Amino acid sequence: MKLSIYRFNPETGDRPRMQAYEIEAEAGDKKLLDLLMRLRTVDDSLAFRRSCREGVCGSDAMNINGRNGLACLTALDGLAEPVVLRPLPGFPVIRDLIVDMTQFFAHYHSIKPYLIADGPPPERERLQTPEQRARLDGLYECILCACCSAFCPSYWWNPDKFIGPSGLLQAYRFIADSRDTATAERLDYLDDVYRLYRCRTIMNCTEVCPKGLSPSHAIERIRLALLQRSS
Amino acid sequence: MAKPGDSRPVFLDLFRIRFPIGAIASILHRVSGVLLFLALPPLALGLEMSLRGEAQFEALRSLLPAPWRIVLGTILAWAATHHLLAGIRHLLMDVGVGSALGTARASARAVLAIALLAALFAAWRGLS
Repeated sequence: MKLSIYRFNPETGDRPRMQAYEIEAEAGDKKLLDLLMRLRTVDDSLAFRRSCREGVCGSDAMNINGRNGLACLTALDGLAEPVVLRPLPGFPVIRDLIVDMTQFFAHYHSIKPYLIADGPPPERERLQTPEQRARLDGLYECILCACCSAFCPSYWWNPDKFIGPSGLLQAYRFIADSRDTATAERLDYLDDVYRLYRCRTIMNCTEVCPKGLSPSHAIERIRLALLQRSS
Repeated sequence: MAKPGDSRPVFLDLFRIRFPIGAIASILHRVSGVLLFLALPPLALGLEMSLRGEAQFEALRSLLPAPWRIVLGTILAWAATHHLLAGIRHLLMDVGVGSALGTARASARAVLAIALLAALFAAWRGLS
């Protein structure tokens, strides 16, 4: 299989370049990550993140043939050759396919991604009805791989101000949680021309989410919550 | 994007990114908006001039040869149609109408197709 991979080594000071590889997939190699792991046995200087190899950790997000995705969930069958691999768009490159996600996680932390429940803690767990629990479906599954934010033009141009689809999906996960008592504060924080309203409903986020989630729908729900609050 | 002063490279070559149909409709919404914005002052001036009388109308016609009028008319017909339809699509999606992925893809395709048809119609009218 032919591959063309973005290479950058900060120690040499050279400009990034594309390097061509040719390697045969062997029996058992089903996903792109399998091939990358095999490739690393040939060229151990190639740098990329990976951990769980089953779409749970979100480490191996990269731009695959022009679209963001997880190498571990991308089937080798049907991939157009040469398979062109580049780092996530818009993120500073640390080395090869590894990007700096500091800004991305700063936005994640800014939305307070934890349950805020005032009042005395109950003796047992905080109960929810099945309906209240169902409202979290499609929200809690986000693995923070950044495929969505790194495919969002609004995030490319305003990465320091726009929270981005991933952070906003996470924000709505807590707004939608019946046990959370900080909805008003959360909405106050999001009600900003950049943090939330920089979204232009392009829906690139939903197009590339490897977990099949819809950040654009979560953003729409936040907007509606703000509208309902103001009317 | 890297912060100012950050010397690390950033991959953001838009020609190497495979954009979904919604993104193409969105960027063309902006392109058509810019075209309409730039065209508005000369078009308003032209309208004002053409209404002054037959001589001025003919003078205006002679300013722009026929082939250029057709090209300009075609581009503006495309821009006006695309901008109008993409704008309505955007407004509807903002209130949750047609914001599911499948519907959004279909509406983006429809906007692109109808704008193209409007351009072809304008070109045909210009040539006939």
